[in-house]
Amino acid sequence: MAAERYSFPVDVHHSSPNGMRMNRMLRMSRRDVLLAGMGAAVVSVTAHAAEPPEASAPGVADAAQFLTLSLRLTDRETLSPAIGNALYARIVQAVPERKEQISRLHALLQQKHFESAQALAKAAEQADPVFKNVIHDIMTGWYRGVAAQKVVVYRSALMFDITKDAVYPKTYATGGPFYWTSKPPEVPLPTGEPGLSPSKFVVEPT
Amino acid sequence: MPDTVRKVFVSLLVAGTVLAGVPSRSKAADTPDAALIERGGYLATAADCVACHTKPGGKPFAGGLKIATPMGDIVSTNITPDPEHGIGAYTEEDFEKSVRHGIRKDGSYLYPAMPYVSYSGLTDGDVKALYAWFMHAVKPVAETPPQTSLSFPASVRTAMAGWNMLANHNQAETGDSASFDKMRRGRYLANALEHCGTCHTPRNFILSEKQDQYLGGGPLDGWYAPNITSSKTSGIGDWSEDDLVRYLQTGAVSGRSQAAGPMAEAVEHSTSHLTDADLHAIAAYILQVSPYDEDTAHKPRDSFGEATVQPDIRRGDLTRIDDVTAFKGGAVYGANCAACHGDDGAGARNKYVPSLFANSVVGASRPDNLIMTVLYGVHRTVGKTEAFMPGFDGGSDVQRLSDGEVADVVNYVMAQYGSGNPHVTADQVKTFHKK
Amino acid sequence: MSSEQTLSADVVIVGSGVAGSSIANELARAGISVIVLEAGPRVDRQHFVENFRNLENKPSYQGPFPAVPWARHPPNQMTPNEYLHTTGPDAEAYQQVYLRMMGGTTWHWAGCAWRYLPSDFELRSRYGQGRDWALKYDDLEPFYYQAEVMMGVCGPDPAKEDLGSPRKQPYPMDALPISYAAQQFRKLISEKTPLRVVHEPQARNTRPYDNRPTCEGHNNCMPICPIGAMYNGSYSVYHAEAAGAQFVPNAVVYKIERDDANKRVTAVHYFDPDKGSHRVTGKYFVIAAHCIETAKLLLVSADDKSPDGVANSSGHVGRNMMDHTGVQVTFISGDEALWPGRGPLETNVIDNFRDGDWRSERGAYLVHMVDDNQVDLATSLAISKGYVGKELEEQIRYLASHTVRLFSHNEGLADPENRLTLSKTYKDILGIPHPEVYYKLPEYTVKSCDHTRGLFKDLIGLMHGRDEQWTPGYFPQDHPAGSTIMGVDPKDSVVDGECRTHDHENLFIASSSVFSSVGTGNITLTVAALALRVADTLKKELTHA
Repeated sequence: MAAERYSFPVDVHHSSPNGMRMNRMLRMSRRDVLLAGMGAAVVSVTAHAAEPPEASAPGVADAAQFLTLSLRLTDRETLSPAIGNALYARIVQAVPERKEQISRLHALLQQKHFESAQALAKAAEQADPVFKNVIHDIMTGWYRGVAAQKVVVYRSALMFDITKDAVYPKTYATGGPFYWTSKPPEVPLPTGEPGLSPSKFVVEPT
Repeated sequence: MPDTVRKVFVSLLVAGTVLAGVPSRSKAADTPDAALIERGGYLATAADCVACHTKPGGKPFAGGLKIATPMGDIVSTNITPDPEHGIGAYTEEDFEKSVRHGIRKDGSYLYPAMPYVSYSGLTDGDVKALYAWFMHAVKPVAETPPQTSLSFPASVRTAMAGWNMLANHNQAETGDSASFDKMRRGRYLANALEHCGTCHTPRNFILSEKQDQYLGGGPLDGWYAPNITSSKTSGIGDWSEDDLVRYLQTGAVSGRSQAAGPMAEAVEHSTSHLTDADLHAIAAYILQVSPYDEDTAHKPRDSFGEATVQPDIRRGDLTRIDDVTAFKGGAVYGANCAACHGDDGAGARNKYVPSLFANSVVGASRPDNLIMTVLYGVHRTVGKTEAFMPGFDGGSDVQRLSDGEVADVVNYVMAQYGSGNPHVTADQVKTFHKK
Repeated sequence: MSSEQTLSADVVIVGSGVAGSSIANELARAGISVIVLEAGPRVDRQHFVENFRNLENKPSYQGPFPAVPWARHPPNQMTPNEYLHTTGPDAEAYQQVYLRMMGGTTWHWAGCAWRYLPSDFELRSRYGQGRDWALKYDDLEPFYYQAEVMMGVCGPDPAKEDLGSPRKQPYPMDALPISYAAQQFRKLISEKTPLRVVHEPQARNTRPYDNRPTCEGHNNCMPICPIGAMYNGSYSVYHAEAAGAQFVPNAVVYKIERDDANKRVTAVHYFDPDKGSHRVTGKYFVIAAHCIETAKLLLVSADDKSPDGVANSSGHVGRNMMDHTGVQVTFISGDEALWPGRGPLETNVIDNFRDGDWRSERGAYLVHMVDDNQVDLATSLAISKGYVGKELEEQIRYLASHTVRLFSHNEGLADPENRLTLSKTYKDILGIPHPEVYYKLPEYTVKSCDHTRGLFKDLIGLMHGRDEQWTPGYFPQDHPAGSTIMGVDPKDSVVDGECRTHDHENLFIASSSVFSSVGTGNITLTVAALALRVADTLKKELTHA
């Protein structure tokens, strides 16, 4: 897949680190397709990716909608508004359509009571397939700390919060030497269902 | 605050100048009994003779430790029983005179770097035991370290005689020190042997210990030996006897303090080897020393701060490998300290790495010890436990920070987890570099 | 070409990685004057730590090191990438990455510090395959130990766990206590198979060593140890500088000048980033510029006297390219939670297939169970499966705690057809051609990989694995070797047993490029040992001169 993206300029005389980073965004190759799944939908990369987030600072109300949506989609009582603002800014700056889409998804949330993230996700994908991408962005933002291929938070990403009883974010290990010899917690096989249809999973090259 | 005057005090801490006299046949002929020698060995450990009389990587007690002072280098001497190079030619009387009175075999005065002002409190019996141990258990080393060469007036040894008269001396204890009750034993160990006051008691203008501020804190070689009186605001009045015993045994009490620099050496070489009973005696004695309240401190230095976490919101930009621009403020902490001390300053869960809040170094009103720790790290070996933090000075293999970065990280850490931003500047950090 | 100014030293070294800097350190400490020319810049750790945290694609271990334009390195393992161009049927299997900067590629190795097996040096005479080295294990043993002390290597007590490479001294540090995941893997292998899992010797502190701290398990050996608990070449740079060696960063060597007889090297020439040219003279020269760049430099230096490149009368410069081509599989274990990623990355190895009579038929290999934090991967995967909210969190925990990754180092074989040449298409900003490599996997290696796949299938079964995902094809392990191969015959090799070029008596090569076979263990310790042996030779010759 993604062979059509293979047109990055190999101008060897004028390649800058920035150029290299852009090229990395356009990457993908055969052997990096790991754990390849079902279906297909990869968040697209746009030409705006290299602009600074300040370029389109979002309105306070929009960011508040984003946070309300995020609370439902993470099934959480609280989330950091500072992180929410930063994620929202980055998402709508990279993909401007997201602004309107997030607003519409928020409107859907207001229509009735959704008792879980799963319920909202199911209803949203049914209402408009584009919401699946919006929800992916929101999940990727909060859990991985990444929006539009850029790190917005690293150690503060929720994926580390929910695993902190077992592992540390790389470069932040505070168990002391040899903490790793101890037995980590057992984890039961999950039984919950997904809220969205599955997508193709792409691992980036190393 | 860093000041240059403190450099003067270096001389008082580090090096003795007991020089070998003319060789003679005066060495004790009879071997004393093993118990006496063993006791002498314990006393020598309690007096921490090895700390000054051994250079890094050198043979025990062969001297040669060199410390730069504003007056010149003071070099500790060979106190092994080698008759040519050490003190093998000393009689017990010669030995007693130098240890308790600062007068060497040839009659000249020792520099008060040798803490004879403290050792003057030793009992006759303990001097005898020390002598026996040095003569019979220490391996002679045939090396003469370089001569001390100080600038005037300190270069004139006779000037030291005047100092000697003015300086405060301990009264020699009498009787069998092993049979002293707990408090008397504690005072004896703290003063006549461990010579705590040598570092922890500030000096007056003639560099004599200010007895009205006994254990009230003093600077030494970049570090600051803090106030360890029972003051509730400035000292260790909030410590229990067990806390202090644990500190002297291991060099670390989580949530209070961790020994680095000269105190780490004192724990390594001396206090960690003492018996529990002796440590309890020292602790009980120290904790009842009259409080000395400093104007600058309003609550105990180990009572500041708490775990704080800010989200690490990022721009997600990378720098090119040749971009080694200095980081600023908290970014220095994030890139160099957070890996081990945690994003929240809490240190390691198993306390191998201490927390930065509830930490005497960070809560102190002076930044000296934090600056020194950042520059030179921590290395303290007690038993099989090796505490280690790398230094970040210009000789570091881990990361070489600029003086500005050191100032920034010290200011950040003290503002975030300690007594408040001390506004240290790069120029001030520069004065802490070892010559 | 601009101003010519001349620097001079007894020994001039090209490259400041583990090989070049350790030679510089040894020589400087012996009072010999040394200049080290490094194509890349001076760097520091704290920026790499932050670059890693800012890197979206965390597994990209080349990612935190954006190159300078005058000394580029491959940006990633993609084919094609912008710098190292590979061709041939297995082009993708030779997409090596490395770093051009002060201290070299060990800034992002995993610290695996294997000695080679005695048999690795005698592949041809023992098994009729590949080539023999022009030295034996015993020649290298003292230098292996010297390298272990220099780097600070921890490893098992040979009486308890013999790794097959005889030792005269114990490891400088005790073996690393292994993670719970590794303990369980070890137990499974010993109870359910005839195989064994051994402690991997590692240049990683299990106690404070050389003014660097004990490993605290940041799990980030690659791309960047945040605390300096793992050896990298920068420490040898610092030590060499303290001993008086002179390091010149941003000095891209492009020409090796020889005398009229073409017997002795007289100087090397380098460009600074503005293409100002500089000449550096010396009595001895050592090229220690990584397997790829070393061969490239010899070829770039071709002139009338040596039309095929310097030290290349054999025509073997750039040939015999080898690697530990690997097989990799990731799966979800059906057994208890292992939570990989607690502790260092690579700590335990199945070593049963490092040697055996079957090496006359197929290549050897070793297997790593990678102890890599899987939280990020698990999160991406769980999101792609459509999970949200509580169910997403459950999935992340389950996948992160049950993902197992195995990969192998499979032995390559010297084949002159696998060849590095200068790109005719691509040049860097200084006008120096990029390297290009033709690569076809030797059948010997393919058979080895097939065997590994069989083993991995059995292991997946043992762990009740599911969702197994094989990394397609073969992947490079960044252990390139062979481009200036060692041998006794000057007609088919570039250097002799001392790593001295057959053609030029004062030119040495210190790099994995001299390897005659590639064995299975990570190459760095052998590179360091060979380098220290070169230093020993140079010390003897310079102090007797």
